[in-house]
Amino acid sequence: MKRKTLWALTLVLFSTAAWSANPFEQQLLKTLKQGVQEKVTGKPATSVEEETAIGRQIAGNLLGAAPLVKDAKLQKYINDVGRWVADQSERPDLAWHFGVIESNDVNAFAAPGGYIFVTRGLYQMLQSEAELAGVLAHEVGHVIRQHHLKILQQGKLLDLGSQLLAKNIGGNDKVQGLIGSGAEIVSRSLDKDAEFEADRIAVVLATRAGYDAFGLPAVLQQIGHFAKDDGDVALLFKTHPHPDDRLGKLGTAMGDRFDTVKGKSLEKSLYRIRQ
Amino acid sequence: MKNIKLCLALGALLLSGALHAAESGTAIKKDDLKAEPFRDAKTMATLAAGDKVDILKKDGGWYQVKSARGKGWVRMLSIRKGEARKGGGDASGVLALASGRAGTGKVVATTGVRGLNEEELKAAKFNEEELKLAESYASSKPEAAKFAAEGKLVARPFDYLPAPK
Repeated sequence: MKRKTLWALTLVLFSTAAWSANPFEQQLLKTLKQGVQEKVTGKPATSVEEETAIGRQIAGNLLGAAPLVKDAKLQKYINDVGRWVADQSERPDLAWHFGVIESNDVNAFAAPGGYIFVTRGLYQMLQSEAELAGVLAHEVGHVIRQHHLKILQQGKLLDLGSQLLAKNIGGNDKVQGLIGSGAEIVSRSLDKDAEFEADRIAVVLATRAGYDAFGLPAVLQQIGHFAKDDGDVALLFKTHPHPDDRLGKLGTAMGDRFDTVKGKSLEKSLYRIRQ
Repeated sequence: MKNIKLCLALGALLLSGALHAAESGTAIKKDDLKAEPFRDAKTMATLAAGDKVDILKKDGGWYQVKSARGKGWVRMLSIRKGEARKGGGDASGVLALASGRAGTGKVVATTGVRGLNEEELKAAKFNEEELKLAESYASSKPEAAKFAAEGKLVARPFDYLPAPK
């Protein structure tokens, strides 16, 4: 049934392609075709360049809402830790970028292509480099499995499909709609399973990088302390399963697999932000 | 001689004081209390979901805890720090905790004055200058490898975890 709809959509696309000359329409068609192709073939149609361009746009918007903490050593440090962790993944060749942004919120954000940001509020809760590595590894997990990109692709397909079928194409605002507004995408809830998957990836990447696997779990335990109506964690709690549920799921997945693996915590190596 | 003894005793007292100041926790599921932080170590007792513990020490993925059922090592992920969730502490809170249902309730987003809320993120304007600054701090693969070597971090293979059924 679903497949039928897609084929119908493809037909519409091809028939529309004949008369469209407007560059905006062409872009829309290309995007939509990619989406359809992806649904049909199951293969991603977004190139690494496009993925990075989308992520760059989102990162720039996010930094418009919350600038970097003005501490060059801190920013360099988080890039060192983050890149080392990301290099243990299957996408070491992405242009990975990490940063600490000015916000008392406790949260971390990932955008496609490898743009990852941690708030000052979260950073200051950390007790060790292994905990930082665990948090960054969770976000790396979202990037390598393209969790946000998939949301964008689905949105494109649905939005553009309905617009096209209603023969209501054209206009700058519609193109703008491809990326959504501002950095809204980072505040979207991902599927709960995507969060649990990123947690599982995080403990593995931290382990591969030589860190104690239990950095992320330790942070989740800390965050579990917050009352859910605390403003500092409001967005985090709204967009993620409760830390206790994440710990429960992670505990089951980890089982005794990590019993014989010792890693480094590096409490003293953690860079402390100047107040 | 006497002085040294006194100092040692005092030190021990201080140390135990520091440990006792450590956090309390709650077992989120039934799990064994082990004599040592190993799977194969002797099982001393079994914690039930909702049991209160004092966390004394951490070793890798294990906590050394003291509870009404005795002292021993338990898997870190079987314990949550602090009391049961807000509104918990009573039987229903603990039960909800054990079943994992407590976290699925509707969470109301408050508009944090200092925070990053959805409206702010939606209204955010692209900041090219700040983005370029962020990108200027990027670490290359060799830089990251050098950094890791300084921390004596050694990369090792480890398989991804399957999703639990």
